[in-house]
Amino acid sequence: MIDIINLHKFYAMGHGKKSVLSGVNFTVNPGDRIGLLGRNGTGKSTLIKLIGGVELPSAGKVIRNMSVSWPLGFGGGFQGSLTGYDNARFIARIYGREYRDIRDYVEEFTELGAQLKMPVKTYSSGMRARLAFALSLAIEFECYLIDEIILVGDQNFQQKCRHEMFEKRRDRAMVLASHSTETIRELCNKAVVLDAGRATVYDDVPLAIDIYSNL
Amino acid sequence: MGSLREGWRIQVRVIAALMIRELTTRFGRENIGFLWVMVEPLMFGGFVALMWVAMKGPQEHGISVVAFVISGYLPLTLFRHAISKSISIFTVNSALMYHRQIKIVDFIFVRFLIEYIGVMMAYLFVGVALYFFGLFPMPWSIGYMLWGWFLYGLFTLSVCFVLAPLSEMSEILEKIIPVTTYLIIPFSGTFNMTSWLPPEVRDVMLWSPPVTAMELMRYGLFGDKVTPYYDEKVPLVFAMVCTVIGLALCRKVRRTLVVE
Repeated sequence: MIDIINLHKFYAMGHGKKSVLSGVNFTVNPGDRIGLLGRNGTGKSTLIKLIGGVELPSAGKVIRNMSVSWPLGFGGGFQGSLTGYDNARFIARIYGREYRDIRDYVEEFTELGAQLKMPVKTYSSGMRARLAFALSLAIEFECYLIDEIILVGDQNFQQKCRHEMFEKRRDRAMVLASHSTETIRELCNKAVVLDAGRATVYDDVPLAIDIYSNL
Repeated sequence: MGSLREGWRIQVRVIAALMIRELTTRFGRENIGFLWVMVEPLMFGGFVALMWVAMKGPQEHGISVVAFVISGYLPLTLFRHAISKSISIFTVNSALMYHRQIKIVDFIFVRFLIEYIGVMMAYLFVGVALYFFGLFPMPWSIGYMLWGWFLYGLFTLSVCFVLAPLSEMSEILEKIIPVTTYLIIPFSGTFNMTSWLPPEVRDVMLWSPPVTAMELMRYGLFGDKVTPYYDEKVPLVFAMVCTVIGLALCRKVRRTLVVE
């Protein structure tokens, strides 16, 4: 379970403050698939970063009682000057996993071949997404934080992601930020609509999508 | 208790992984790899020592000038490098904040540790090499040397703990730090013993934390050929105070750190 309690986040802007989240509350239970909906700049990515502990809240708390992945997005989590293999090695080490298992999984899942020997900064965003996904799947988290990334990549890769994430790991929890109402309708059983710094939780996903579309 | 041990295990794992990562990014895998870490202190140490010999002759105050300069200059490189490496260290490494088990204090510690080991290796290497040319004495007491070196490291690390977060808070500081690391040289005991100073000046000098560390290292190296003055309380208390302030500042900076 992840408890998100009265979360506030503001950023310093010049001499003032810009408030992004002002009092967000909800709970992620095991097996929950929560879609985050909100217009640009309403704090979807910020909220995901706070849940993942990448940034810290200005006030409020995130209590994690399950293992939570790092936010899987377009950037972050990698060292650009290191190769794909080196990054895999580093991640295996800090999460205390056997490098060989991780490497095998990454090779098979990403299909990046010799590209894995190149520095990650030479990767396209699609390739980075593959690597991030493969690593987080190999480590096996109880909750996955996904920031848009699921929509990148070719058909074949999307198929693969869906199979690995939503069929083989259907017992895991997930928080997915996306602009695609289609994806959220298809994959999520709950939705959180972000607006003006507040979050509203809906158990009825189509209703949430309606409300979001009319914002 | 169990969770404390688990936390410790994770920190050890993370620090080992960060060390390897830092070494591969900085020195690559080609040629001599991470041995590069000692090349710079070696070259500069040697160069500065040669200049002193040219200026002052091979002996002064009854001890080898080369050994004296090297034994001062190498610790100074630790101080200068560790400080310059800790400037903006959080911004540079912010991509790693994606992994919760990595704490920002780890970055400072890892970069410090690499420099610390590198300088120690350089010291050992140059000491052995010069010993065969008769330019370096056999240490009189390894214990005193290591004790001094430990205090010097503690002092340096604690300063890094303060400067790393401060450099994120103020850009002016980021600019003036490199200059100040040169300005402190006269107060660091690097190129002089306090016994060469008048007693009143010496008493003031001993308030500077690295001086005690330096005197201990020199005493360990030259033994009775030098008269050391030291007060371990100064570096120990200084390091403790700086560490407490530094860790508090790190916490503060972490709370507002923006990660892309």
